[in-house]
Amino acid sequence: MSTVVNVPLRYRIPWKKIVLYVLAVGFALYLVLPFYWIVAMSFMHEVDAISVPPHWVPIHPTLENYLGFVRPNAAQELVGGRAVSETPYSLRNSLVVATATAVLNLALATFAAYSFSRLKFRGSQVLLVLYLLTRMVPGIAIIIPFYLLMRSFGLLDTYLALILSYTTFALPITIWILKDFFRSVPRELEEAARVDRCGWFRTMWTVFLPVAAPGLVAAAVFAFMTAWNEFMFALFLTSTKAAKTIPVVAANFATDFNTQFTVMAAAGVLAVVPPLALALLFQRKLVQGMAAGSVKG
Amino acid sequence: MAVLKGSAERRPLGDNAKAWALNAPAIAVIALLVAYPIGYSFYVSLQKNNLKRPRAKRFIGFDNYKALLSDQAFLSALKVSALFVLVVLGLTVVLALILALVLNERFRGRGLLLSLALLPWAMPGVVNGLMWRTIFDAKTGALNGLLQQLGLIDSYHAWLTSGSGAFLFTALAQVWNTLPFSVIILLAGLSTIPSELYDAATVDRAGAWRRFTEVTVPWLLHPLLIVLILETMNAFRAFDTIYVLTGGGPGDATTTIALLDVQTVLTFTDFGLGSAYAWVITAITLLISVGYIGLLYRKGNFEV
Repeated sequence: MSTVVNVPLRYRIPWKKIVLYVLAVGFALYLVLPFYWIVAMSFMHEVDAISVPPHWVPIHPTLENYLGFVRPNAAQELVGGRAVSETPYSLRNSLVVATATAVLNLALATFAAYSFSRLKFRGSQVLLVLYLLTRMVPGIAIIIPFYLLMRSFGLLDTYLALILSYTTFALPITIWILKDFFRSVPRELEEAARVDRCGWFRTMWTVFLPVAAPGLVAAAVFAFMTAWNEFMFALFLTSTKAAKTIPVVAANFATDFNTQFTVMAAAGVLAVVPPLALALLFQRKLVQGMAAGSVKG
Repeated sequence: MAVLKGSAERRPLGDNAKAWALNAPAIAVIALLVAYPIGYSFYVSLQKNNLKRPRAKRFIGFDNYKALLSDQAFLSALKVSALFVLVVLGLTVVLALILALVLNERFRGRGLLLSLALLPWAMPGVVNGLMWRTIFDAKTGALNGLLQQLGLIDSYHAWLTSGSGAFLFTALAQVWNTLPFSVIILLAGLSTIPSELYDAATVDRAGAWRRFTEVTVPWLLHPLLIVLILETMNAFRAFDTIYVLTGGGPGDATTTIALLDVQTVLTFTDFGLGSAYAWVITAITLLISVGYIGLLYRKGNFEV
């Protein structure tokens, strides 16, 4: 008799687990399948990519789409040739602009964030709100005067115009992230250095900043990704391969009716690899920073 | 006594000067590259100012703004934007809440799922747009292929040719891109809920649903509000994905206010009207951000 009672108890269906795993798998597919599709397409020949019904894996895998960026073949020269030939330049431009933005941001934000984490000063709250408010200003609100300003300085289609605009986007975020990271650095370290008669700058360089390094890296990655992904300002401020960034060239692919989907997919994959690699590499710090500042928008 | 008071006051004063000196570079950059342009943009919005007709440039006061009230393109874009915010926000919050609740549990593969959740966040909006373009394509798209192989549709559909279809699918593409951000904030909120509360609820024989409504939801209220506000702002200024996916079409079905503004400025080089549009966007955004900052303030994020 007792077995009859026990069996249904022991084999009770674990509904919670089932629901959990079904949801987890569902979300995993939702998150990864769209991306998988452009990655797969980027390794396909055009014929396979547009076949009906679709081939879900590259049956004749090829690197042609990627190689075309460095030496376009005849067909690619003909259709969407400009975007194809501009892709390598735009990758270089994006890399330079994003790196410079990250460095400039760190330089400016480190000082400001240090003041919020270590000094009590009048107006600190107002200033912090002001920084945050700057972050809220939509890019579109400043793009027209920014364009006119850059035009009058002769800076259109240069790196500097992009770096300056991205710095203003990323600076408030960087300050907010760093302020939180800096607060978690124990004060005793600097006090010990002070006892050893280190000056303020030496204390910063040799004691404080090395300890705060993980925070600095996270902030730099945020700034880099902001600059790398930005599109609207790049669309306004650049016009040739001298400064066009990868989002602008990728958009050229999409708005050109002749574009081959496979080449467009390859350009998209190239554009997403650097920020994705950074996101995965610094996952924990980034998540921490995002949650603490609630900042990316 | 006087000496003591004096020394106590001198130290903060030194801190004051040092702190403002440390902030000076950042303030200078922001003043020059944000505050000045915003002011200048307001000045331009009071002008008749078209780059193609430089000689017609003149000061016209609030005429650009008055014209907005009867500007069909503007009113339509405002409506599209509002609807876009509603749809994107609704879908994002529901999906993000479920995904955050899943990620808050312990199970095998949780770390992998969290990494996957960062994927859309890392993707540039432009790439997001062209990715969904290949998927939604009428003749060769993966969505058509998938639905047909699953037997859900008989023949390929042109998802983006009808106004409502284009609108819905653009919203879906936007949701995919913005989901991770909300998930991370909600997950951070969930992780602060003390487990004792759940234990207590279990002792009280509260079922899963009651634990959710009586413990989880109240604790999650604040992060949810932050998500609502930030995602509203996000969706309101959405541009990259829409520009690449539909370009605002068909007709003006997906022409949001940000898209209309860029068209007005880039295509028609009408800087005066474009600035007026931009100022409407700014005003609405600032209103929302006042609410956001008020929230953070109450949470104590500004304690320095």
